[in-house]
This record gives sequence, structure tokens and C-alpha cells, in this order.
Amino acid sequence: MLHLAPVRLLRQSLLLLRSELRQELRDLELVLTSTFFTLVVLGMFYLSFAALEKKHTLPAVPGLLWLTVAFVGTITLTRAFDREREADTLRALLAAPVERLAIYVAKAGSTLLVLLVCCALLVPGLASMFPAGQVFWDMPLETVALVVLGCLGYVAIGTLFAAGLAGGGGKNMLLAVILYPVTTPVLMFALVTTRALLDKNPNLPSYLGQMAALDVILLGLGALLFEPVLVGAAPARTAQAARQHARQSLRAAGREEPR
Amino acid sequence: MKRKSELVVPLLFLAAAPLVVYSVQRVFLQTPNERTMGTAFKIFFFHVPMGWLCMLMAVISGVAAGVQLRRRSRTAGAVALAAAEIGFLGGLGVLLTGPIWGHATWGTPWTGDARQVTTALLWLVIAAYLLLRHFGQHASERLAAALAIFGAVNVPLIYYAVKLWKTTHPTTGVVAKLPPEMWATFWPGLSALLLVSFGLFAIRARQLVLVGELDEAYVRLEDSRA
Amino acid sequence: MTPIALPVLITGLAFEAAPAPADNGDYEPAVGTSREEKEILASLEDKAAAKTASDYQHIVWAYGILWALFAAYGLFLWRRSARLRADVDALRRELDRPAARGGPGA
Repeated sequence: MLHLAPVRLLRQSLLLLRSELRQELRDLELVLTSTFFTLVVLGMFYLSFAALEKKHTLPAVPGLLWLTVAFVGTITLTRAFDREREADTLRALLAAPVERLAIYVAKAGSTLLVLLVCCALLVPGLASMFPAGQVFWDMPLETVALVVLGCLGYVAIGTLFAAGLAGGGGKNMLLAVILYPVTTPVLMFALVTTRALLDKNPNLPSYLGQMAALDVILLGLGALLFEPVLVGAAPARTAQAARQHARQSLRAAGREEPR
Repeated sequence: MKRKSELVVPLLFLAAAPLVVYSVQRVFLQTPNERTMGTAFKIFFFHVPMGWLCMLMAVISGVAAGVQLRRRSRTAGAVALAAAEIGFLGGLGVLLTGPIWGHATWGTPWTGDARQVTTALLWLVIAAYLLLRHFGQHASERLAAALAIFGAVNVPLIYYAVKLWKTTHPTTGVVAKLPPEMWATFWPGLSALLLVSFGLFAIRARQLVLVGELDEAYVRLEDSRA
Repeated sequence: MTPIALPVLITGLAFEAAPAPADNGDYEPAVGTSREEKEILASLEDKAAAKTASDYQHIVWAYGILWALFAAYGLFLWRRSARLRADVDALRRELDRPAARGGPGA
């Protein structure tokens, strides 16, 4: 088995992601609640905006799409990390001999999957409700790329802050307070790109490229900050307990490594 | 050491006092009215420095938060919070005076100019940071630091995004080229504002450090009595 | 109508009445503003200039808000430091209490 750092990181991430998915498949809690919430929001939007004329739906559809993603993303992230907190598994995971980055990647990956399932309902829903959304059917590949890139950027930031708050105990109200202002750049890029898609703008690929670049920046920043934020967010321990804990985890890591 | 640092604040305010008086008399009495905007243009001399102050403090807060995360330094945390508070103040000043100026010159308080939207969004991030520092538990302090870093990184991103977004909206030029006597009024105003703000900033940062030390002292007292 | 305006008007009319010069493409008929229009425009401009030059409402509001903000923050800092000082005094009193068995080295 190779022991290069990136390979190990990838292996651990996949392992954690698989365990996340297995847990999710057991009761489908996240997927069911999030898709239900998506449907509710779609219904609300339909009731509110069904009377719009076609030319007014053109600027409205991108907003509806990404606002729903923001709402659903907040709900999903809150629930995902609530679960961790109830069982206190996050701290156990942090104490385990895995790369912290792998935890971030796995959590972001599972949240992204849930969001994409929701988008699989949301986008066709918008496309059939509003005539301007017809383009989503006409250009499926671009639509998928747009949705994946937008959700990825959102999740890159969201996972970091949701995980940080989960360590801090209580105060979930704060997640929404933090997430909405911080995710505005991604959501704005996504809005612009969606608008370009709906307009059939020939520059669409370059808009998508910019979104991809933004995603890289946000993922990098999230990965860089994940460890310092989370390790510090664990409840303050006495120096002695911390030293003991460090010794234990070192020993555990030593047992694991030289296989 | 302690004595010297205590001198900084009075010195800052002492230096600021004549500058404030000078810049105010320049703004109101010496500088001629701008041709098309008239007296309303005088808002510019404190409006724009407030905007710069807001950006500067956001960057200081982000950098201090980075140091706080790396070094686990409590002083850096205090500096980040103090900077965010001043940045909040500056942002509020810009966001309130901007529409007043806009109303006087363009006839509309809000044009959706890229700079306006960027400032408003940055201000929201600063406000979120303050909320998190204030209502989050002690443990969320490091999370707040991450938020401050994101806030600082967001500034150029948001500006670019808003510019892109604006391609579908009308744009408005804000200020044409300024004649030199306007700049001669601008610089004293800017320096006065910066000196006063840094004075307040220093006071607040020291207060926050003191709060931390006091908490620690109380904890130690409890421990020793137990 | 002012005494000067009449001759001006008449000349204007005369010009208008005069036959156009031989139209070989060199000349365009002159188009101008009448004196009345000019005067109305000038008075409007004066009014507008006077209005922007004496528009004190906006600056009073703007500077009032700015200085009020700083004053409010200063007040907030002052009250904070008063409370801090009270806390420090309380701590000191606590430390000086004879019951204290070796307080922290503060």
C-alpha cells in the first residue's frame, strides 16, 4: 500500500465518505428532510410567483434557484452536524488517527451529494413552473455543471462554519447568520452564470470557468482553516488532559501507521 | 512598557484635535462648492475616508484573526474584535451618508453601484462577525476568526462579482476628477479621521485584553479558594 | 418687453424673413435660441445653482450622523471602561479579604 500523503488523504476521505453515506442510507434522514424542504420552498415560490409574465421570470429564476440552495444548504448543514453533536462523534473523529482534512472532505462530499439530490428536484421543478426555465432542459450539460459548481462552492464554506459551530455547543441560529453573508460571493457568481445560461450567452464557458476558479479558492481556504478552527473549537481542556490526550492519539496513530 | 503604551492614545487624540478643527473649517469655509453638486459635495470629505476606514479595518481584522489562529494569541483576538467594531462603525457611516449624498446629487439614494453593494455586503460580514463574537460561546472565538479571514478575502471577490452582476444594470459614475484644492481638504480630513479611529481602536483593544486578563484572574481566584 | 428686445426681435424676424442665400450646399439655415428662451434658461440655471449652493439639509444630516456615530461609540467605550474599573476594584477587594488563603499573584 502506498503511504504518500495525498494517497492516504484520498483513501481516508473515501473511507469516511462511505461511512457517512452508509449512515445516511440507514434512515435517509438528511435526504428526506432536505428534499421535502425543497419541495415546500418550490411550492411557496410557485404560489408567490406563478402570476409573473415570462419576461419577468427571466431575472427571477436564477434568484429562486440559488435562494433555495441557500435555504436548503443551511438546513442540511445544521441537521448534519446536529447529528454529530448529539452522539458527540465529531470529537471522537477528531481524536481518531485520521487526517483532519479527510474529515472536511468527507463531510463536504456528503453534504454536496444531499444538495445535488435536492437540485435534481429543484431544477426540473423550476424549469417546468416558469417558462424562462425551459433553457435548463435545452442545455442539460451546462445546467449540471452550473449546479455542481455552485453547490460545491457553497458547501466548501458551509462545512467549515457548520463544523466549527457544532464544536461550540448550541446556538444554531448563528449558522444562518454567518452563512448568508459569507456565501454571497459564490451565490452572486452563480446568479450571474445562471443568468448567462438563461440568456444563452456565448460567454457561458468563461463564466463557468470563473466559478470553478472561485470554488478552488474557497475549497483551499476551507481546507486551510478547518483544522485550526475545529481543534480550537473543542471545549477547553486543562493542559494536563490535553497532554494525556495527545499522548493517547500519538500512540493510536503509531499503532495504525506501520502496517 | 506599560507606561509607554498608555501614552499612545492621548498622543493620537492630541495630534487629531487640531487636524479635526482644521479639516472642518476647510470643508465648510474654505473649499468652494463643487459646480454641479453644490454643498452636498462636502459630504465627500468624510464619506470617502469612512469607506477607506471600513476596508482598512476589515483587512486589519482579517490579518489579526489569522495571527490569532496561528499563534493562539489572545491579544490578536482582541485586536481583531476591536478592528471589526471600528470597521462596523465606519461601514455604518458610509452606508448612511452615501444615500444622503446620492439623494442630493442623483436624486436617488441607492444606485446599486458596485462599490455600494460591495460595502454593504462587507458590512454584513463584519456584523455577522460581531454577532458571533458576542453571542457565540468562548469556543466559537476561533470560528469567528475564520469568519474575519473570509470577510477580508471576500472583499475583492464581491467587488468583482458585483461588477459582473452589474453588466445587466445601469452604471453611474461617482466622482469625476477632483481639482487640487479639493484634495488639499481631503487629506487633513482623512488623517483626522484615521487618528481618531486608531485612538478609539487602541482604547478598545486594551479594554478587551483587560477583560480577558480579568476573567483569567477571577478563574484563578476561584481555583485558589476551592 | 424691454426696449432693447424689440429691435433684436425685429432683426431676428428680418433674418428669418430674408431669403436664404443661394443654396449650393455651403450654407445651412441658422438655428438659435430666442432671447426669451435664453433668459428663462439663465434664470433656471441661477435657481438651480442657488439651490445646490444653499442646500444645507443634506450636509447637516450627513455630518450629524457621522459625528453622532463616533460620539455614541465613545460613550460606549467610556461606559465599558467604567464597568471594567469597577470589576478590577471588586477583584482587588476580594483579594484583600483576610479570609483569602494565598490568592493568585495578581
